[in-house]
Amino acid sequence: MASEAANGARPRVVAARAVAAVIESGRSLDDALADWPANLVGADLALARLLAYGTLRDHRRLGALLAPRLKKTPQPLLDALLRVGLFQLEATRVPAHAAVHATVAATKALKLGGARGLVNAILRGHQREPVSLADAGPAVMASYPDWLAEHIGRDWPDDPAAILAAGNARAPMQLRANRRQGSRDGLVADYRAAGLDVTAMDACADGAQLAEPMAAERLPGFADGRVSIQDGAAQLAADLLAPAEGQRVLDACAAPGNKTAHLLERADIALTALDIDGQRLARVTDTLARLGLAADVRVGDAGAPANWWDGQLFDRILLDAPCSGTGVIRRHPDIKWLRRASDIPAAAERQRGLLAALWATLAPGGRMVYATCSILAAEGDAVIDDFLAREPRAAAQPIEAAWGRATTHGRRIAPGDHDFDGFYYAVLAKH
Amino acid sequence: MAILEILHFPDPRLRETTKEITVFDDALRAFIDDMFETMYDAPGVGLAATQVGDTRRVAVMDCSDDKNERIVMCNPRILWAEDEQVVDEGCLSVPDHYDRVTRATRLGFAAQDRDGQAYEMEAEGLLAQCVQHELAHLDGGLYIDKLSRLKRERIRRKMAKTAKRAP
Repeated sequence: MASEAANGARPRVVAARAVAAVIESGRSLDDALADWPANLVGADLALARLLAYGTLRDHRRLGALLAPRLKKTPQPLLDALLRVGLFQLEATRVPAHAAVHATVAATKALKLGGARGLVNAILRGHQREPVSLADAGPAVMASYPDWLAEHIGRDWPDDPAAILAAGNARAPMQLRANRRQGSRDGLVADYRAAGLDVTAMDACADGAQLAEPMAAERLPGFADGRVSIQDGAAQLAADLLAPAEGQRVLDACAAPGNKTAHLLERADIALTALDIDGQRLARVTDTLARLGLAADVRVGDAGAPANWWDGQLFDRILLDAPCSGTGVIRRHPDIKWLRRASDIPAAAERQRGLLAALWATLAPGGRMVYATCSILAAEGDAVIDDFLAREPRAAAQPIEAAWGRATTHGRRIAPGDHDFDGFYYAVLAKH
Repeated sequence: MAILEILHFPDPRLRETTKEITVFDDALRAFIDDMFETMYDAPGVGLAATQVGDTRRVAVMDCSDDKNERIVMCNPRILWAEDEQVVDEGCLSVPDHYDRVTRATRLGFAAQDRDGQAYEMEAEGLLAQCVQHELAHLDGGLYIDKLSRLKRERIRRKMAKTAKRAP
């Protein structure tokens, strides 16, 4: 019988492998964690996730704690395991001796047996006397790459430290009530009666927040489509697009389909759900099936309408454009290490292209909502600024709202504001 | 002493039933020493002869934290078992897979040691789980037999993929 089950090494093994897959191979964390589905169950799986997410949130600072104790750069997997070990000592409720013991035990399964003594010495050394980080700068302490910390500093000059910190907070679990199956307040009342700690979110009409995250399948009414999991900031898209009965609506980058579904829950509309990624589009179909909704789901590049558009103009278009994801770092800490400075202008270029291409499919008098889960102006106002300069028939409409802060053309939300993810919205009208 | 090769599911030799041991000689004792070395190296808390391609009815275990409580089970049989609980389990012949299975919490078993001396012992917790796991091996069983066909098939496919990738 294998012994890892007994000594707690397994969650550390999985966490270290996942962290190394992100840092070394550039894979997304969710993808890397999904590699070992049969491997972990129950509490062990929860611990592995906690360790992997936490280590990536804190990755750079942990590296600074580690560096003075190392004579040479460790190989990626050992580096990941050491940071997982330090994270446990620093930030979890795992008792220190158990954290050290289990991390040392993980060396064997990771085929790092030769580093057993090193791991033990470093973790115990940290316990005795942690390395001082008194001289470390804000990017190290908040664990962001320099380029991103600087970029955020330029874009949010009032309080950049708060933005960095908000990206390291653990994100709350937020829900969306399906209006077709009853009101949000009814859902909140039912959940409370069932003993769940839930509150209605004041800034979004269908939103509710759980005090403690729980698995989707355990949410009452999830399987029957009464409720979905969606951040509150993403729920604002439906308010801003406000489709009316019978309108032709395009959701241009639809996968995984949460906003698509929200639009369909709001009104009886003829909706086309488009996405360039056929595999991810399958999740749209699943989501709609669970909620009992229907749309014309199509694979296609929103930037090339000739390949999928039938020539009939849309009354409403939602362009939730692919972006850096810098607004959702609190949900995906791997984003800090997967993005490069050069990704930002590339993403902005793509966003400009999508906006220009889709504009031609919008009916006169129609409305387009441009959204990104980015907190960088390069992917927000700058894109709209360019577009408005070139497109005389477009006008940005001011957004009156209780959430976020007004920008020149739209509105941006700082991560953590109203407990929301970071987001940017602009509403464009066509004359 | 030597580290033996541990067979991996779905190797058909894992399905063989073992034969009662009647001769307790130096060759058997050397084999038992090799089994311990192989188990500690893996690392595991139990190893059955079937897993190293041998059909002698013997398994070794050490469920202690300090790896200093060796137990040899020649010709073991379970005398009684009580209470059931769902536990995490993994197997050296199914590397990198773990799942939940139902096992008796406490049991008594009878076996012979490396010299053929008969003994009886009570076990609980991890050791009880291990006894059940190793006894199943000696009759050609695997813990994944307790899982759904779907899960087992998924493991088989994944193992086949890993085997192909190995040098």
